[in-house]
Parts: sequence; structure tokens; C-alpha cells
Amino acid sequence: MSNRFMSKHSQKFTCQIYFFLYLIFFLCLLSPLNVSASGPAASKINNPSNDLWISVRHNTESGKVTSQVKSVDSTVLINPQADRWTRFRMTQLINYGLFILSVVAVVIMLFYLFRGRIKLEEGLSGIMVHRFTDYERILHWMLAIVFIFLAGTGLILLFGRPLLIPVLGHEFFSVLASASKEGHNLFGPIFFVSLLLMLFRFVRRNIYAKGDLTWLLKGGGLIGKSHVTGGFFNMGEKTWYWIVILTGLAISVSGLVLVLPNFGQGRVIMELSHVVHGIAAIILVSVSFGHIYLATKGTEGTLESMKTGYVDIKWAEEHHDRWAKECHDNDRLISAEDYAKLQGRVVLDQNVSASPLMEETK
Amino acid sequence: MIADFIDGPFWYFSLTVFTIGIIWKLVTIVFGKRKADLSVARGSGISGAIKTIFSRFKADKGMTPHIRLQVVAGYMFHLGLFALLFFAAPHVLFLEENFFSFEGMSFSWTPMPHWAFIIASEFAFLGLLMLWLHRVLNPVSRLISTADDHIASILTFVVMLTGCLALLESFNELRLLHRFSVELFLIYFPFSRLMHAFTFIPSRAFTGAWFGRRGISS
Repeated sequence: MSNRFMSKHSQKFTCQIYFFLYLIFFLCLLSPLNVSASGPAASKINNPSNDLWISVRHNTESGKVTSQVKSVDSTVLINPQADRWTRFRMTQLINYGLFILSVVAVVIMLFYLFRGRIKLEEGLSGIMVHRFTDYERILHWMLAIVFIFLAGTGLILLFGRPLLIPVLGHEFFSVLASASKEGHNLFGPIFFVSLLLMLFRFVRRNIYAKGDLTWLLKGGGLIGKSHVTGGFFNMGEKTWYWIVILTGLAISVSGLVLVLPNFGQGRVIMELSHVVHGIAAIILVSVSFGHIYLATKGTEGTLESMKTGYVDIKWAEEHHDRWAKECHDNDRLISAEDYAKLQGRVVLDQNVSASPLMEETK
Repeated sequence: MIADFIDGPFWYFSLTVFTIGIIWKLVTIVFGKRKADLSVARGSGISGAIKTIFSRFKADKGMTPHIRLQVVAGYMFHLGLFALLFFAAPHVLFLEENFFSFEGMSFSWTPMPHWAFIIASEFAFLGLLMLWLHRVLNPVSRLISTADDHIASILTFVVMLTGCLALLESFNELRLLHRFSVELFLIYFPFSRLMHAFTFIPSRAFTGAWFGRRGISS
């Protein structure tokens, strides 16, 4: 009897203990310690510490936060947007940027291996035609030099952490990064000025015109052997020009926002500017690989136009046939001998100095 | 070790070469033998000299359309470099500490603000780049340019670039790099066309006096 009673009593007691433990466990689940501090329910928990940090982080009591420092964002103690920006930079911009640049470089190398240098069908004739003035070439090379410097220093700053620190070490990289940052900031405005000069000088000749679409449909002559028609600039060159101008302007404006914090822009605007700056720069650098390749190793006779200002008439006929026709019609062709004299490869004589092209060269 | 060498013996060596070289060059120019001008003077040599010193700051009217770029770029570069050299805050401090301190007393002047420094350096870089590119790309300029012209341009560019890379003044390595490039520049200076920084006024004066004496308006 007593045993039965004891057994029943023991069972009841055990049930009570289990119930009590479940209760504790349930209460624990509901306790403020286990409630996510970032959730909306957190604000309902009357914990002064939580409220303080939520307020600091999200600035929920905007207007009530004051600071002795009277400047932009001086009342923001924690900028939650910065976490997103940092994550974007570290995990997406760097990784995807590196991937895109590598893929473009590999594609160009493969293209060169399979297609080789695009040579002129009829070869160089030696008869030249004037294409770019000194001023235009100076503009081009100034923009090119400054761009290469900015691209180099910018890529050091962007990819330095994952790529250079393991090779160079922290100490050397810190010196390199400091120099790159100063150089990058200083040459940025020169890029902007060069870009504007480039915009004004070449814009008229780079407006899309009838016939450009044909060029695009034929792949610009890169695919297949069929002839493509083009004016002074073909559609590929025009597209490259507009990529330079548009991404260049995006890079320049966002760069000025980053480098000149005196104009009252806050951190969020600067973070967005950095995102624009980085993405536009990756686009411009990757497309520039193609431009540099095609202008140097890729196509026969192209580099000459920016070196001397003159191109072979056969080159003009193959790549810019409509412009070449204009040159023929206006009798602007120069013999190989006269061209050599203009370039100072032979002693100048009276006939050459009297040439109207000499004036143009000056 | 290298830092001590750049800050110590090499600095004094380059400064000595620069100073002696400049003095030697100027002495040979001023006291060099020239044929006496026996012609009857038709005008004042002195007024001709003074006039030419200033008139040459402006490009010749007939030449202006052909050399507009060189004139604009030339002024941008030279004025920018002058401002950087004598009014950049680190340079003012350096000159005060190393050249204008005498027994506890020192002489200095107000440096330009940071924004002015940035503008001056932008002007200097833009001007120098344009001038050098013109030298390389224009067939006539290319033909009359020598290795000395290119070395002088590149050396000047390197000095300016290393100076700007060290702008943060946080790394001694960058300061040393700038100082080393300056020392190379100082050594090269007296033996090159960089000497025009010292000779352009005497040269103009000499030409102007010669013209003035003969009554040539120039």
C-alpha cells in the first residue's frame, strides 16, 4: 500500500520536476538574452542597454542625437551602411573585378593565338594620308599615360590585400599603398581635364551615323573575312570613345566626391561613389585591354596614326573606306618620299618646307 | 645605411656639384672671351637689355598661332613648379631648417595652403606632360631634341612625382626616394639645358643689349 502510494507520489513528483524544467526552458527561450537584438521584437524588450545600442546603430532618435562637432554625419556613431559597403568591396568588387579582368586578358590572348595579327590584305603601300593633328595625338597620349598610371595605382589599392600583401609583405605594401593613394588622388584631376579636352575635340566625329550598324553586324571585321565599311571612325572606335567618355566621367565625378570631402557629402554618398568608381574603373580597364591590343599588336598599321599622325592609305581603305574615299577625292595623299621628309628621316629641302602639309604638321 | 647616405654624404656631394657647377657655368658665360663690338652705337644697350628681358615673356605675334600649346603648357609648368619649389609647406620648412637658420635665428615665409599646393602640382604635371609629348610627337621638335632634353624632362617629372607620392609624410622610404631623385637632379643640372633656369635672364639681356646697341627693335 505504502509502496503503491510512494510510487504514485514519486511519479507525480517526477512529472512536476519535468514540468518545471520545461517551464524554465520555455522561459529561457523567451528571455531577452535569446531574443535577437537585431529583430524588431528587440525594441519591445525593456533593456536599456539594447535600446541604447539600437538607437546608436540605427539613429532612431534622429534629431535628439547631438554633438559638439558640427559637421556632416557628426551625430552618426555607427553607420550600418558601411558594413554593406565593406562586404561588397571585399567579397564582390574584388572577386568579380579580378575575374572580369582575368577573363578579358585570357580571351584576348586566345584571340591572338587563334586569329593572329590582322594584316592588311594588300599590304602597306607607303602612300600616306594625314589622320590626326599634333594636338589630338598629345591629348590621346596624355590621357593614355595618366590612365595607365591611375589604373596601375588603382588596381594596387583594390587588389593589394589579396594579391600583393602575400608577395610583398605588409610593410612594403603599406609604403606602396600610401604612394599609390597619393599619386592616384593627384593624377585624378589631370585625367578629368584630359577627358574633357578629349570630349570636346572628338565628339563631332564620334556621333553614330548611317552605316555603323553594318559594321556591327559584320563583327567589325574581326569575324570572318568580309570587308566592313567605315567612316573616319568606325562603330567600334566610336563605341570605345563613348565608353571612355561615359565611364571616365563616372570615374572622375565619383573620384572628386571621394577626394574632396569639403563639399558636405556624407559617408553614404562617398560609399556609393566608391562603388560607382570601382565598377566603372573595372569596365574601363577591361575594355582598354582590347583597345590597347587592337591598336598595337592586333592590327597592322593602326599604331602609326597615333605615333606620327599619318596612316597608310591601304589601312584607311580597309578599315575606313568612306574616309579613304574622301582623302582620294580631295587629293590628300602623300608619297612615301614626302612622308619620310615630313618625319625628318631625310634632310629637309626647300620643296618639302614649301609643302602645305608642312604647315599642317606645325 | 642607405638612408644615412642619402641624407648625409650624397646630399652634400650633390649640393656641392650643383653649386660649383652653376658658378662655373655662369663665370664662363660672363667672363668668356667675345669679340669687341667696334661699331658705332645707334641705341642704348641697357634699355635694349631690359626691354628684351620682359618682352620675351610674351610669345611673338607671328609665331603665336603655331606655338599656342607650348606657351600655355610652358607657363603652366614653370609657374606650377616655381610655386611647388618655393611655397610648398614641406619645402619652406626644409629651406628654413637647412639654409636659413643661423645660431638660433631662422628666416622663413608663409607656405601656400594645401589646396593651392594641389592646384600648383596639377598645373605643373599637366604642363610638363604636354610639353614632353609635344617634343616627342611633333616631327620638328623631335628632330631638334637631344637626349639631354628627354633626360631633363623625365628627371624633372620623377622629382615631382616622388615628391607627390611622399605627400602624406608618413613613410621615410618615400621621403628618401624623393630626396634621392632631387640629388640626382642637382648633379645633372649644371651639365644640362636645365641651366636655362639661371641663364635665361642673362641670355635675354645679352641679346637685348646687342640688338639695342644696333638700334634693332625686338
